[in-house]
Amino acid sequence: MSHASTATKPKTVKARADLALNDEFLRKAVKFTTERLRLGKKNASEEHGNWDDWRERGRQIRLHTIAHLDYYLNLFVDNARANGVHVHFADTADEAVKLSLAIAERKAAKSVVKSKSMVTEELHLNHALEGIGVEAVETDLGEYIIQLAGETPSHIIIPAIHKNRYQIAELLSKEAGETLEPDTQVLAGFVRKKLREKFLEADIGMTGCNFAIAETGSMVLFENEGNGRMVSTVPKTQITLMGMERIIPSFEDLEVMATLLPRSATGQKLTVYMSGITGPRREVDGDGPEEMHIIIVDNGRSLQLGDPEFQELLNCIRCGACLNACPVYRHIGGHAYGGTYSGPIGAVLTPALNKNVGEWDDIANASSLCGACYEACPVKIPLHDMLVYLRRRKVERGHGNRAEGMGMKGFAAVAGNSGRMARALKLGKLGQKLVARDGGIRLKIGPLKGWNSYRVTPELPKQSFRDTWKTLEGELRGGLQEMDEATRDRMARIVQERGQGGKGGGHHG
Amino acid sequence: MANSREHEAWLQELEAASRVKQRTFMDGIAGKLKRPRVTEAPAHPYRGAPDFWREMEWDEEERVQRFTDNFKSVGGHVVRLAGMEEASRFIADKAQEMSAHYILRQQESELDALGLEAALPEAQVSVWNSDPDTDWKARAAEADFGVVLADYAVAYTGSITVLSAAGKGRTVSLLPTVLMAIIPVERLRTRLGEVLTGFDQAEREQLPAGIHFISGPSRSADIENDLTIGVHGPGIVYAILVG
Repeated sequence: MSHASTATKPKTVKARADLALNDEFLRKAVKFTTERLRLGKKNASEEHGNWDDWRERGRQIRLHTIAHLDYYLNLFVDNARANGVHVHFADTADEAVKLSLAIAERKAAKSVVKSKSMVTEELHLNHALEGIGVEAVETDLGEYIIQLAGETPSHIIIPAIHKNRYQIAELLSKEAGETLEPDTQVLAGFVRKKLREKFLEADIGMTGCNFAIAETGSMVLFENEGNGRMVSTVPKTQITLMGMERIIPSFEDLEVMATLLPRSATGQKLTVYMSGITGPRREVDGDGPEEMHIIIVDNGRSLQLGDPEFQELLNCIRCGACLNACPVYRHIGGHAYGGTYSGPIGAVLTPALNKNVGEWDDIANASSLCGACYEACPVKIPLHDMLVYLRRRKVERGHGNRAEGMGMKGFAAVAGNSGRMARALKLGKLGQKLVARDGGIRLKIGPLKGWNSYRVTPELPKQSFRDTWKTLEGELRGGLQEMDEATRDRMARIVQERGQGGKGGGHHG
Repeated sequence: MANSREHEAWLQELEAASRVKQRTFMDGIAGKLKRPRVTEAPAHPYRGAPDFWREMEWDEEERVQRFTDNFKSVGGHVVRLAGMEEASRFIADKAQEMSAHYILRQQESELDALGLEAALPEAQVSVWNSDPDTDWKARAAEADFGVVLADYAVAYTGSITVLSAAGKGRTVSLLPTVLMAIIPVERLRTRLGEVLTGFDQAEREQLPAGIHFISGPSRSADIENDLTIGVHGPGIVYAILVG
């Protein structure tokens, strides 16, 4: 089902965005949700205080860990094994799928219950499991809804952001075999009951991993519904898929991540559940999985290592704050990005993981480079800079727009020489007499077509800044020597007050 | 038996392959970082929370107040009682009020002392892992009340910490409809870090399989941003501060 919808997806971000912009409900829902989450984050970070100090600390911990990733990952693996975990490595998505399927087959599993995991979305694991006759059930409420609809998540935190309660009631009624009221409590109540049965009968529980603690070999999950705890407690076998960069050194470092992640994602002080799982059940324990596997996935991540422009991508803690802050995401929604990850992080991560800038060439353009993503990022990843690097690489590899490239070269040749620039402007002033009306140019041909479809190009002024420069320069040189007495006194007073320490220093909330 | 031996052999085969791969995986990382493998622990000058944060400590009254405010703000219930006797009475009253028939509690001496069995003669009160032949997951799934003793609590985030052990099931705080968590006031800390650093200091072998921080009732906003309580975990959570 999910494959059919992927196959008919329009090819470019622009075409997919046009689809999203046509969908009035989607646009409103995305706007409402992102606004709610953004405001929640703003309030939570202000209430907590010293937010930039915490961001800087989070960034330093992530930078340090990634710079020594071989050491910390190796330490994690050794400790997890000592805890009784079966650890595996997968270079590619294919290898990770093969390992997961081999475990499922070995366990003769009939069903797998899954908690939210972006890595398994990368792998299209549900489809692969169904291919060998194993039922894969998403148990996060939003993920369950979009699985029934045969779709993919459109927001990293609220995956079913694009569905309204009537559509959800219809989907769930089909599953229930009776008509369910489009009421949130009724719908959630049905899912609770239905998935309870699934949790209790499943052979395997599958989880993602928010953080893995190197010094103890523990894996950490943040969640609100309790399904993450269910899948890691009730079934006899647990499989955890984790990106190779999820590591932090210690539980002490977890305090910083636990301060940044929930506040940035939803504005919560902590998610309802934060679980640290250290190996399978102990012999004396009455519950918990008997067998536990952790599959460490590369799938393009290591390509960022040693790349000065993109290594910091691995610092990402998957909070979604950049999506909520992005003016482009808020208009087009997640599906328009066409990959597993959407928003500014997706625009950079998708081509980076795939290392095929050409194929994803329009995704880096789905951004206004305003820098709101960087401001929102709890570990200060310079996403807007990375988007520029991507565009540059795309042009370097010949995927740029040729007319634009030629135009830029021409502009450089003209503007780089003042004599040429003056002659060109003179020519323009003469030429525009043919097309300018009421101070503007409305012609929609040639290079002006795109711009003038929605706007009016102002005509070149009769006397430009360049023309008056000689006079201006003379005025500045003469005028600055004499300062108005009142101005001088005022400035002297300000300097004196500043010297006394005064008020208005750095204020922290 | 033969089956499990075969399974062990298969796991060992996987492990052998994994150990070979571990080396190439780590070498690959070091190669991409353009330096030799790091085998000694590197200096980590930014470990944990910023220094100013570590100095923050509230007195007991403020810890109780902040915990209460935070826990209530996410839809949890908080009561403060003088002693365990009052706690026993509180739980028994709530059980009668909500007509709870199945009550499951952890196997701990403090909870034995509650005497819930005597206080609720009509309800079925079971004790986690007290009999090897019982299907304890099924007991937890049918339970109306799960009664646990918190190992720690954190005022700043409004969280209860529970650790797994032979007598302390992970499902007891997860599957029942209502969670009753008793928190001796002296276990209530100010910051999350005070509890977390304890896990670093304990030997790895001493860590329990499950460490769970619970900050209120299970919730979701996945349907039209409409807050839903009790999606998978307990929808009603009482934090009972004692002392």
